Amino acid sequence: MSNSILEGESAGFRQAQSPAQAQSPASTTAVMSMQQALNLALDEVLAENPRTLVFGEDCGRLGGVFRITDGLQAKHGEQRVFDTPLAESGILGMSVGLAMAGFHPIPEVQFDGFAYPAINQIVCQIARMNYRSRGTLPMPITLRVPSFGGIRAPEHHGESLEALFAHVPGLKVVSPSNPHEAYHLLKYAATRPDPVIFLEPKSRYWQKGEVDAARHDADGGSPTGAKVMRAGRHVTLVAWGAMVARCLQVAGLAAEDGIDVEVLDLRWLKPIDAEALAASVRKTRRAVVVHEAPLTSGLGAEVAQLITQACFDTLKAPVERVTGFDVPYPSGDLEDEYIPNIDRILFGIQRVLEYKRG
Amino acid sequence: MAEISFPLPDLGEGLIEATVLEWLVSPGDQVERNQPLVEVETTKSAVELPSPQAGKVVRTYGGPGDTINVGEPLIVFEVPDNTAGIVGTVPQDEAPKRRVRLSAVLDED
Amino acid sequence: MSGRHTGEQHSHTVEGTDPQLYVAVHEPGTDAGLRPVMLLHGFSSSAKLNWEDTGWLAALLEAGRRVITVDLPGHGRSGAPEDMDSYAPSRIRADLLQIAFDAGARPLRDGDPASGLDLIGYSLGSRLAWEFGATQHELVHRLVLGGPNTADPLAEFDLVAAQRYLADGTPIADESTAGLLKMAQLLPSNNIFSLLSLVEAIKGEPFDPAEAVPRMPMLLVAGDKDERAASMPELAALGAKAGAMVEQVLLPGRNHTNAVTSRAFKQEAISFLAV
Repeated sequence: MSNSILEGESAGFRQAQSPAQAQSPASTTAVMSMQQALNLALDEVLAENPRTLVFGEDCGRLGGVFRITDGLQAKHGEQRVFDTPLAESGILGMSVGLAMAGFHPIPEVQFDGFAYPAINQIVCQIARMNYRSRGTLPMPITLRVPSFGGIRAPEHHGESLEALFAHVPGLKVVSPSNPHEAYHLLKYAATRPDPVIFLEPKSRYWQKGEVDAARHDADGGSPTGAKVMRAGRHVTLVAWGAMVARCLQVAGLAAEDGIDVEVLDLRWLKPIDAEALAASVRKTRRAVVVHEAPLTSGLGAEVAQLITQACFDTLKAPVERVTGFDVPYPSGDLEDEYIPNIDRILFGIQRVLEYKRG
Repeated sequence: MAEISFPLPDLGEGLIEATVLEWLVSPGDQVERNQPLVEVETTKSAVELPSPQAGKVVRTYGGPGDTINVGEPLIVFEVPDNTAGIVGTVPQDEAPKRRVRLSAVLDED
Repeated sequence: MSGRHTGEQHSHTVEGTDPQLYVAVHEPGTDAGLRPVMLLHGFSSSAKLNWEDTGWLAALLEAGRRVITVDLPGHGRSGAPEDMDSYAPSRIRADLLQIAFDAGARPLRDGDPASGLDLIGYSLGSRLAWEFGATQHELVHRLVLGGPNTADPLAEFDLVAAQRYLADGTPIADESTAGLLKMAQLLPSNNIFSLLSLVEAIKGEPFDPAEAVPRMPMLLVAGDKDERAASMPELAALGAKAGAMVEQVLLPGRNHTNAVTSRAFKQEAISFLAV
């Protein structure tokens, strides 16, 4: 496997071939939840690659607090699917050693807020080992992190860490928006030679959708880069994770008002698919980026810059950002006030629609 | 539907086993989270174990007088697939509600 | 929702010194409108071990009862005072009275089901409840006494042997003393020297149930394998002779340790107190 997709090389990124596409049997479409899709992907990865290990707090006997690893220990054995102590630094530190020894660890950090104790292992070891060793010690680690808000959880159980991870050279960051994407993106991530931070939108775990295991896209596209989830002419909504579903709802409502919204699921947050952003906004000439994370230094700023760089001459309005606020991610009771809602996103669209050059 | 098995929890202070005194639920019962499940006795005290979750009881392990080791199966529940994890609630997909209307003169230049 | 106020509820002290007792008042989700229930745990136990972990607190709250729990001195989260006086049963009863009043208990009034106080004790807690009922008949409405006994086994405790054992490991000849000390040492939360102070204080004020007999209705409950409660019928006879309505319940197959979790015990107690 080529190591060519290291940092921000989204051009090379598009050429990568999905092993899932190459190996999966023909037409296997089924309706399932994102939980089941992730479970299926892990099951297949474990079966296909004997060096894959799945572990984390409650991942073994219990099958994960979100049931993502349900049944995997019984099927693949306690050597390959196992529980860890409540110590995230240990979970990720162990992953470093396992990767050095040639394993493909797929650790889980039970909740996004629990990733902080492992930041040292992720940033100082996992992200750098390949560079430090001049490519002799790659870190094929896929870190699964149930992420973002939307389930009315207490503090530390809902955070948007994508910008934090995306800022670290050596890490790739991806977030699926539906069961089909979850299945294919996880299978793809788990075969990468590089560390991938896999942010699972926990508020979407239970929603069902069609998963075509044989093909990633109806058009035979790849699991890399961004993906147009709804085509439109007037404005591009850029989102990832749980916000994609919300933006699709907004697009439906905007259509009632005669506004044709394109929804771009960014999927990969590092590297960001700048070409797809440019292609969409060259067409719509307006863009609104939506994320749950706080505004300041959020990924929305990066997206806005990439769009501005590519489309400065044709943009009809500055890129708008509809985001969480610059406060700690609130616990469940205040979630509805914090996470961008339909009206706030519609306001963002209105702002780019009515912008007048002066 | 999915089955979730719960082992005898660590009762603390180095205890490795407990003796069943009396089951307070039977297979087929629908139980709520924190509802008393079983009385057990250790070398130090007798305790009533609350249910770690809601669900229908499928199986219980051990009758009065039987010893169960910490970590061995105690009870199996049947739960719907869309059950929340240990924290939080399952969000419901609702029809989108809006207050904001868009208005724009789209000059297609 | 069960509200709960924990911490040092009592704002008054008896005899001028703070007994450092840990008090918790637990509010039911739906208040049945009845008087509060005070729970008194046994020797080498605590409100948590005797009443919370065993399901009593949840069952009483479910029944709509307001519950006052207290850790005895040297037990649970209560302090371990240095002075021997803090451990005297008479001093503890005085502190309990103050705690009950500070938690809102008021003397019994005819026709007011919220007035008065119900008491549930276990083992040593039953002794304290018996004496408390006998001396506070204007306050106490009903008694439930679990694992009760006419004599306090702690009064026979061989303190010197226990202290020698703790000092240099000399084996304890008296079986009951050895058993009680072993039980006390099993729990890391116990302050062993404080517990021995309690034993010493109890030896100074041994239980004499005939000295003062409660006359309010009482329910006596013990496991049929509880050797420490073998004299329960004698207590019942004393109560009945003094004019109290007495009910006795034997729990099949249960002993002094495991009778406390019994559902039957809880149900009998809750319905006995629900008047």
